[in-house]
Amino acid sequence: MSSVINVENLKIGYSSSSILAIVDNLQINKGEIVSIIGESGIGKTTLLRNFAKLLSPIDGKLLIFDSQLKPERGKLGYIPQKLGLITHETVYFNVLEGAICHESLLRSITGFHEEKVINKVEDSIKLMNLSDKIDEPIKYLSGGQQRRVAIARTMAQGAKLILADEFLSELDDKTANNVWNIMSEYVRSNDITLVIVEHNVERAKLADRCFELVRNQDSDFSVLLEVDK
Amino acid sequence: MNLDREKFLKRKKYPIFLAFIILTTFYVFSDLVDGDWNSLENSLDNLSVFFYESLWPPNWKVLEARSYPVCDRGWDILCSPAYIGIVETLKIAFVSTGLGFIISLPLASFASRNLYRDSIAIPFRFLLSSMRTLPSLIWAIFFVILIGLGPVSGVMAMTFYTIGYLGKLQYETIEGISKDPLDAARAMGLSNSEIIMRVVIPESANNLISQLLFMFEYNVRHGSVIGIVGAGGIGYYISTYLKFLQYDKVMALLIVLFFVVVLIDILSIKARSYFIEDVNLKYPSFFKSILRFK
Repeated sequence: MSSVINVENLKIGYSSSSILAIVDNLQINKGEIVSIIGESGIGKTTLLRNFAKLLSPIDGKLLIFDSQLKPERGKLGYIPQKLGLITHETVYFNVLEGAICHESLLRSITGFHEEKVINKVEDSIKLMNLSDKIDEPIKYLSGGQQRRVAIARTMAQGAKLILADEFLSELDDKTANNVWNIMSEYVRSNDITLVIVEHNVERAKLADRCFELVRNQDSDFSVLLEVDK
Repeated sequence: MNLDREKFLKRKKYPIFLAFIILTTFYVFSDLVDGDWNSLENSLDNLSVFFYESLWPPNWKVLEARSYPVCDRGWDILCSPAYIGIVETLKIAFVSTGLGFIISLPLASFASRNLYRDSIAIPFRFLLSSMRTLPSLIWAIFFVILIGLGPVSGVMAMTFYTIGYLGKLQYETIEGISKDPLDAARAMGLSNSEIIMRVVIPESANNLISQLLFMFEYNVRHGSVIGIVGAGGIGYYISTYLKFLQYDKVMALLIVLFFVVVLIDILSIKARSYFIEDVNLKYPSFFKSILRFK
């Protein structure tokens, strides 16, 4: 099985003088669902932002799709804690943001989108059961519907690796479980790798593997340990 | 107990700060006056003499057609200095705001530190602040020398100032947008130009439009000033009447300008209320608009 994320002796943080976390060894394979838990401020988001190539590691090896470079356009989908949607724009507009990864810069900027891009947007919206909300601004949608839009956006971009940062945290249990089911069903049926930072331990253990960032007793930084399920 | 005391002291800081501001202001003011308070003593009398002898009543001849060239329009008012001047001022303000907006938006994007690294953003900030340093009046003098008298100089002057001023408002707005949509777009692999078109502009559109309307309003007010140095608009007529000591006509033009600015203010509040989110701006009554007239 080919590894999508490959980590060796990774040191993360915001400066070399203050290392937040160290990950000795981690391989996440294609199609795997991995969850990360840990207390607030321990470095979960920083780790995910490193995986998303939004931050550079302080030291160590971090390969995404077997490369140290940024993954090719559209291959990596990142869902931040607050989802990163344009809240006063419509569902269509937000999902289209993902789909433009499949067309040229000129087309995406000028708005003359290709037929296949439009189809991708419509298919993703349909799959997420949002067809009746297509022209609705995000701010008028419920928390669960907003998460479905975020998933539809990564679907439209055709992401092979999805990094989701506590994106179920503000939902009630029933809705959160529902969104989790939708997400896991989608990634499993499409052989997509999902790394999700999760607050709820019960839900986190539903993943194939669960890791916890724990504070190292002797030092300030935290380390990533696999949790027995 | 200690916590309450700390809270109390914290609250106490505001009156102290206010008192400090008031005292410092008066101290610096008295330093400027340099003991010569007598000069202020007769100011009210002087004002009333000037007002009743020169300014009041306004001379409404400014609303009548000029004697030359002969008026060939339906109504006399359409050939009056007040109408011609105010329409030209509005045109100058409109064109310079539009041009300024088109040019300032890309410059402001380059100047935003959440989009471009400091080595790119800081030179663009310098450029914008250098354009803002000179007030539109100085730009107008510069362009009147360069291009000559007339509205084109006015447009150029106000465009330059608009770029500097609007650019600053824009890059501050862009820097204030949420990090999350930018992160999501960057992780996706979108280029900066796509991020600007797909995330930055939609995310800050309400503020950008609101600033654009504010800038138009601002340019109408300043359009009257730059005319004084020969850059067209109602200011040209104001300066001419001032030269011939026809203060009653100046007063009439200022009243016309006042009502036009109030009208634009009302329209702009109405227009902005469509774009500003989560603010329940109601259509203002005429009186309320006058009260918030700047």
